[in-house]
Amino acid sequence: MRGLRADIVLPVLLIVGTLLTALGFVLAFTTAPLVYGAEASEPALINGQWVTNRLLLSQKIFYFHMPVAVVSFAALTFTAIFGVLFLVRRDRIWDTRGRVATEVALVFIMMTMVSGELWERFEWGVWWTWEPRLTTYFILTLLVIGYFILRTAIDDPERRAVYASALGILAFIDAPISLMITRLVPSGVHPVIFRTDSGLSPDMLIPLLLSLAGFICIALALYRLRVREQLLRERLDVLQEMLED
Amino acid sequence: MTDAYRDFPPPIGVRTVRPSTFAQYRTLLARDLRQEFRTREMLSSMGIYAVLVLVIFGASFAQVAHEMDLLKISGGLIWALIVFTSLLGLNRSFSREREEGALEGVLLVPLDRSIIFLAKATANLLFLLTVELITLPLFFFLFLSGSEFPTTFWMILGPLGAGSVGIAGVGTLLATMTANTRGKDVLLAVLFIPLAWPLLYACVVATTAALLGPEAVEVSYLGPVVLALGYDVILIAVSWLLYDFVVSA
Repeated sequence: MRGLRADIVLPVLLIVGTLLTALGFVLAFTTAPLVYGAEASEPALINGQWVTNRLLLSQKIFYFHMPVAVVSFAALTFTAIFGVLFLVRRDRIWDTRGRVATEVALVFIMMTMVSGELWERFEWGVWWTWEPRLTTYFILTLLVIGYFILRTAIDDPERRAVYASALGILAFIDAPISLMITRLVPSGVHPVIFRTDSGLSPDMLIPLLLSLAGFICIALALYRLRVREQLLRERLDVLQEMLED
Repeated sequence: MTDAYRDFPPPIGVRTVRPSTFAQYRTLLARDLRQEFRTREMLSSMGIYAVLVLVIFGASFAQVAHEMDLLKISGGLIWALIVFTSLLGLNRSFSREREEGALEGVLLVPLDRSIIFLAKATANLLFLLTVELITLPLFFFLFLSGSEFPTTFWMILGPLGAGSVGIAGVGTLLATMTANTRGKDVLLAVLFIPLAWPLLYACVVATTAALLGPEAVEVSYLGPVVLALGYDVILIAVSWLLYDFVVSA
């Protein structure tokens, strides 16, 4: 069986990740200070509240939103890397890994989208706006969904693996665009987070890093557990075929 | 190509001419163009489809066309027209190869696969440009005959060129992939529209700027065109690299 001895720690990793994320959440609500909402051109009345001059509780979503977004980008990077490795080495294991990495990416993309929508509703006052970061992330979502539609539309496993790898690489072109667009198009309203002078106080940074570390652990554990499950399933299929013969 | 010639040397006394890469490219491109001249299948279906999209536009603006200046949104309309028409053309270009088994024949020839990509993409680009040449004047005739065009009008050629090249490039790769799948028509749209989106966005911005006049051109023309060209280069480079794997699978 292809797998790692170290896989024994996977359930532990999952629990550690959950605990770290939970701790990050608790700290986000206890120690991290409230912040003012994004500055609008003029105060706007949303849900009976003037948002620009109020301390926003909705900002707490940020401690969840940004880590899952980072993990989704990381997972897509692995999709592209595994795609290249498959095309070079032609070993099915890389196809399986690439698919599982994309599955993990899809889970985190969906979490990013949902948390982003909620945040946006209360910070910007709309459910959706065609803002550069949002739009590029949205088309990334569509590409990842397209990846799975493509996979189900092809029967031949070899061809499916090649096409999926190619699409994984092509889709990855959009990831750096989405990541960088808040810098490239400064007019966008989405805040730039990765910078040295981000203005995050330690009280805010610690919960953020805790939940980031937690989500990375969860993503890694999910990925490895799913790969193991897939390999076992493949093995089972081979055994069943042998029994039938 | 070189391997095939080394492993199977020609019999003594037989002189072989090794075709240059450009000759191979020309032959493949001529094959596509000749097929099109004989059947006129793609140009006619793309052209009629484009006219139908224009008719739908006509219905969409039935109530407001006389009271608003359509010139402001024409950039977006033109690109909607181009994207839908090119989707149809891209689908046709490969289903033909698969139906007749023509691509298999081409793949038997010992030539670099990326030449097939270049030839196919060039053919698709030529068809797309031809259809644009016919439908865009029609668009202006049907919707903008009352509008005053600014002096920067000719500058829409920049984004049109950059956009068409990108669409033909990435579209050729995706159409090669989806031609082998179930539900290929839908799948091509599902993959093509998100991938081409940044290109589309940049082209719409630049086209709209050119249609609005010199002030708009100063603010938002050069940047989007450069972005579109950059995206073209990246997309076509990646498609070119991947084409060998995709077409052989």
